[in-house]
Amino acid sequence: MSAAHADPEGLPQGHFSLPDPSLPRVLEVEGLTVDVPGRRLLDDVSFWVPKGEFVCLCGPNGAGKSTFLKTVLGLMAPTSGSIRILGKPAQKALRDVGYVPQRKTSDMTFPARSIDLIVASMRGSWPLRIREEERVRASEILRHVGGEKLLEKQIARLSGGETQRVFLARALVNKPSLVILDEPTAGVDVKGRAEFLDLLAEISASDELAAILVTHNLAAVARCAERVVYLDAGRVSAWGLPSELLGQASLSAISAVAGGDHAAHSHHHPLPDEE
Amino acid sequence: METMFDLPFMQRALIAGAVVGGLCAMIGVFVVQRGLSFIGDGLAHAAFGGIALGLLLGVSLERMTWVALPFTVMIALGIGYVLRRGSLRGDVATGVFSAISFALGVLLLGLRSNDGPQVNVETVLFGSILAISPEDLITVGVVGVATSLLLAFTWTKLAYATFDPELAALSGVKVAALDYMLLALTAVVIVVAVKTVGIALVSSFVVIPAATAKMVGRSIGRVALLAIAIGMIGSTIGLILSYHANVASGATIILTLGAVFGLGLLFKKK
Repeated sequence: MSAAHADPEGLPQGHFSLPDPSLPRVLEVEGLTVDVPGRRLLDDVSFWVPKGEFVCLCGPNGAGKSTFLKTVLGLMAPTSGSIRILGKPAQKALRDVGYVPQRKTSDMTFPARSIDLIVASMRGSWPLRIREEERVRASEILRHVGGEKLLEKQIARLSGGETQRVFLARALVNKPSLVILDEPTAGVDVKGRAEFLDLLAEISASDELAAILVTHNLAAVARCAERVVYLDAGRVSAWGLPSELLGQASLSAISAVAGGDHAAHSHHHPLPDEE
Repeated sequence: METMFDLPFMQRALIAGAVVGGLCAMIGVFVVQRGLSFIGDGLAHAAFGGIALGLLLGVSLERMTWVALPFTVMIALGIGYVLRRGSLRGDVATGVFSAISFALGVLLLGLRSNDGPQVNVETVLFGSILAISPEDLITVGVVGVATSLLLAFTWTKLAYATFDPELAALSGVKVAALDYMLLALTAVVIVVAVKTVGIALVSSFVVIPAATAKMVGRSIGRVALLAIAIGMIGSTIGLILSYHANVASGATIILTLGAVFGLGLLFKKK
């Protein structure tokens, strides 16, 4: 693998231990570049995620993390490069991707119950009536994420932690091969964050489901990540194991992004606030 | 003994009022949920620009809809374009476009020759539902059927895109096309509704039934049904009240809807 080192400011640089290239790849990004007028948001980004691997995508604000997710999800067009999901062009494989957005993107005043959200994800359109088999499936997936009591609850009344539980359920309901989570615990209280982290740890333990978690939360990285991709100024500045990137010099650089909470490196410490 | 229901002009007014009330409410469910309540008012002002343009071209006030319609739809699509570019908020975009259209309307009215048809500005501002002609009723009917069909076919996708455009797009929903369709339909319905309650009050027709239903309904389907019922019944009751009290019909309809809104506050879901 290519040489790895830390730059003078402590930022992780280079490729450390990379995934086994013989493993089947769920996501493969090659030379991805995204430009908007007057600005390059992503610059020649390349990495892959093998089946079942949990990847944390880290980096400072404006590093291109959200742009990367939006491009993978087909919400932004790449200038050049390719994105393949399960070997197919990303646009043809979005059914294999579950997405948990940041809490602020959805209209939580919308008159709906949790079950409506989950069934909408199953159908690809908003349900007016819910069939029995859909109810059973929604109930199963909510139970899987520990939210069985939330099925009939109005979404406007969900707490931050409950909301993300329901959104995780809707992301998983179609049995995706890859789940993408965009700072899912931002704005969630400490208890809700800790519980959600337990769920992410379960996903991380799965050998079937791959995940990309965008986070500034070092506790999440330390507990869940099987690999870390560090984006800086639109480029992959480091790609390797958490133990390599959460080393002495790199830790201070990443934790500075999370508000300087070094203590969060331990599983048992309070979780640092996300942005 | 002849009652108000035997009078042809009242029959037309009652039908037009109920249809327009239901249509505005149906559109209002999405408009209000998307935080675009101001757009009803903005497009009504834009319609004034279209009406003035028609007058300048020598079209009679009765046929003005056919000039105001494309003009207002264009303005609505312009607002949609600005919104999608993400450079301005909805209220800002609506404010700018409606102010320009209204100013254009005032300017065009001043450019008319004096021997053109006389215009009662009060009629334009406050509507004339009792003056609805059989031709107007046909227009209302055609617009009503077309709008209802379009909304029925796109309902589930539109609701999904209203809840979260990104998630809807990921599920294959054509969010941009639906956004433009909703704005164009809003423009069409507003232009038709202007005839009944006028430019000044039409946005209430869009906003109040939907806002009332949203306070009570627990699903988007129920909110829509409730809003449509409130729009239709409120319009009918308001018209009957105005007939018996011999007061302005458009204002009475809106005040009736306002009273229903007050009741909604009392029964608001906990």
